[in-house]
Amino acid sequence: MPNIVCCFKWVVDEAYIKPSSSGKIDLEWAEHKLSDYDRNAIEEAVRLQEAYGGSVTAVTVAPSDATKGIKDALSRGPEKAYFINSEELENLEPSQTSAILAQVIAQQIDYDLIICGEGSSDLYAQQVGPRLAEKLRIPCIAFVKKVEIDGGRLIAERKSDDGIEVVSAPLPALITVLPDINNPRVPGLKDTLAASKKPVEEISLEDLDTEYPALIIDKGLRAASLVRNCTRFGSTPEDIQAFVEAIKKTGIIDRG
Amino acid sequence: MAGVWIYADRIETGRELLTLGRKLADGLGQSLTALLAGEQDLAQDFIARGADEVLLLPPLAEGQPVQDYVPLIAAEAQGADPDIFLIGGNLRGKEMAARIAARLDTGLCSDCTLINLEGQLQMERLMYGGAAVQTLSINSRPQMATIPPGSYQAPEPQTSRQGKVRTLEAPIPSGVQIIERKTSPAGSGDITAAKVIVCAGRGIENQEDMGMLQELAEILGAELACTRPISEEKHWMTEESCIGLSAKEVKPALYIGVGVSGQIQHVVGIREAGIICAINSDENAPIFESADYGIVGDLYKVLPALIQAFK
Ligand SMILES: Cc1cc2nc3c(=O)[nH]c(=O)nc-3n(C[C@H](O)[C@H](O)[C@H](O)COP(=O)(O)OP(=O)(O)OC[C@H]3O[C@@H](n4cnc5c(N)ncnc54)[C@H](O)[C@@H]3O)c2cc1C
Ligand SMILES: Nc1ncnc2c1ncn2[C@@H]1O[C@H](COP(=O)(O)O)[C@@H](O)[C@H]1O
Repeated sequence: MPNIVCCFKWVVDEAYIKPSSSGKIDLEWAEHKLSDYDRNAIEEAVRLQEAYGGSVTAVTVAPSDATKGIKDALSRGPEKAYFINSEELENLEPSQTSAILAQVIAQQIDYDLIICGEGSSDLYAQQVGPRLAEKLRIPCIAFVKKVEIDGGRLIAERKSDDGIEVVSAPLPALITVLPDINNPRVPGLKDTLAASKKPVEEISLEDLDTEYPALIIDKGLRAASLVRNCTRFGSTPEDIQAFVEAIKKTGIIDRG
Repeated sequence: MAGVWIYADRIETGRELLTLGRKLADGLGQSLTALLAGEQDLAQDFIARGADEVLLLPPLAEGQPVQDYVPLIAAEAQGADPDIFLIGGNLRGKEMAARIAARLDTGLCSDCTLINLEGQLQMERLMYGGAAVQTLSINSRPQMATIPPGSYQAPEPQTSRQGKVRTLEAPIPSGVQIIERKTSPAGSGDITAAKVIVCAGRGIENQEDMGMLQELAEILGAELACTRPISEEKHWMTEESCIGLSAKEVKPALYIGVGVSGQIQHVVGIREAGIICAINSDENAPIFESADYGIVGDLYKVLPALIQAFK
């Protein structure tokens, strides 16, 4: 019966990001959300528990105001959460996040399988999973589309650049999952209520007693403006004709 | 001798990295080392195209994954202590780069979109799904980055170039075994080279309806492409045809999105398109903000009319 750890990140919802007039990024009104593909990571952990038994623990490294995120994650099925608090280390880069996760998981959590998302919605660095596996010196299978457990091994279908590889790896191991591995459930009111009663293990950075220096130096952000000036048409025959004329005028289409 | 290192698990991407690697090595006044899985003649080809040294990775055992090179590559890099280590950013490369970086305790810029040498490397990458561009540098050694395939052109070979070749030891099996390979069916065409693209989004209800888009594409001489839900959830098209942050960036003169909402992760892949058109029934769909021409309407009414009008 596998003990499964799923790692999730509480991120700024990019839909709220608006460039300010200065071209700087304005995060003041931005809401947070559970990183998109981490919903799949949590769902897969819960799905495996339903199939094989064992336990599911959700783990995150976040500023202390991320309690909403913990609740969101727990409402999706894990029975317990580890909340590693790093107020002074906002905007961690992947080497820091993975080092912190590795230390806590190695010292405090009994695990057979670790599941991460393919990439986080804000950084999309696709680093934390593979780095964490290396720190723990366990096999890493990235970009998984399907996974099963077979005794002491896992069988996974992973996307590779030339198709799919079916691989077998000894447990404990780490996988990163693609969004098409499952359809994350939508938590209901009952799940949300149940989530508030689940245990949350809070760990502060001081408890860890290690320094995690940033190896990536952030030199600033600028908004990538993708806004164009749209000429709109309706769907009447006249409008369609006008649209077609406009496109033909560009001279790009040399047929028709 | 430290210098610049490159590795890509695909030969084509490796050659592209030689262009960037050579430039950076010359900027530093250092040598360029290429890691390569292959034979002697390929090593000579890499030397002819700019490498000063080639480290040959010996063949893998049956069922042994490419990722088993990670400890070997990390150990070599640890010993040689390069200034810069660039890795081809296909899926495998991104995973291996992260794992090598972890072993070397160094920073890694994933999917680097711009790289300049100003003493240190100054790099750029996208953040927040493409809504922002981050500038960064790395203050550990080696400075690592993954470079998206297709970012550079392979240099022409110069047969007069000389270099060293060294074969590394065979990688130790990690215990991960490939038990089956399923190659994906080849996509229809190369969307990155297309002049006109018709892009299918989740607004399309049934797979049969893709026929309408196909017809429009044929009339326009376009390649058919798609959003991630179409390739990854519905599997109506292959991932080769998907546009966006986690897929391909395209630069057509004309892009027509049909039933595409225009989320940032998709739109970032068409930012270099000449003219962007959108057909969407929701007048508030974000795609209209990023478009030059938009038709607000039901694609099931608009497409047949459009096909007639273009004919
Ligand atoms: C880390 C990360 C990376 C991602 N990478 C990518 C990527 O590389 N590429 C990518 O595409 N996505 C990517 N996504 C997903 C992206 O955020 C969007 O979910 C996706 O692009 C939406 O695809 P869509 O527009 O086809 O579907 P939807 O967002 O569901 O939009 C469907 C649209 O169709 C319209 N519609 C419905 N019916 C009709 C009709 N009858 N007529 C006309 N219009 C109709 C609707 O109004 C709607 O706007 C990524 C997401 C994350 C979190
Ligand atoms: N702060 C974090 N806390 C817990 N898990 C994380 C955190 N950041 C990233 N991860 C995990 O690592 C994956 C990849 O993140 P990234 O390397 O940022 O793209 C995510 O999908 C999560 O599963």
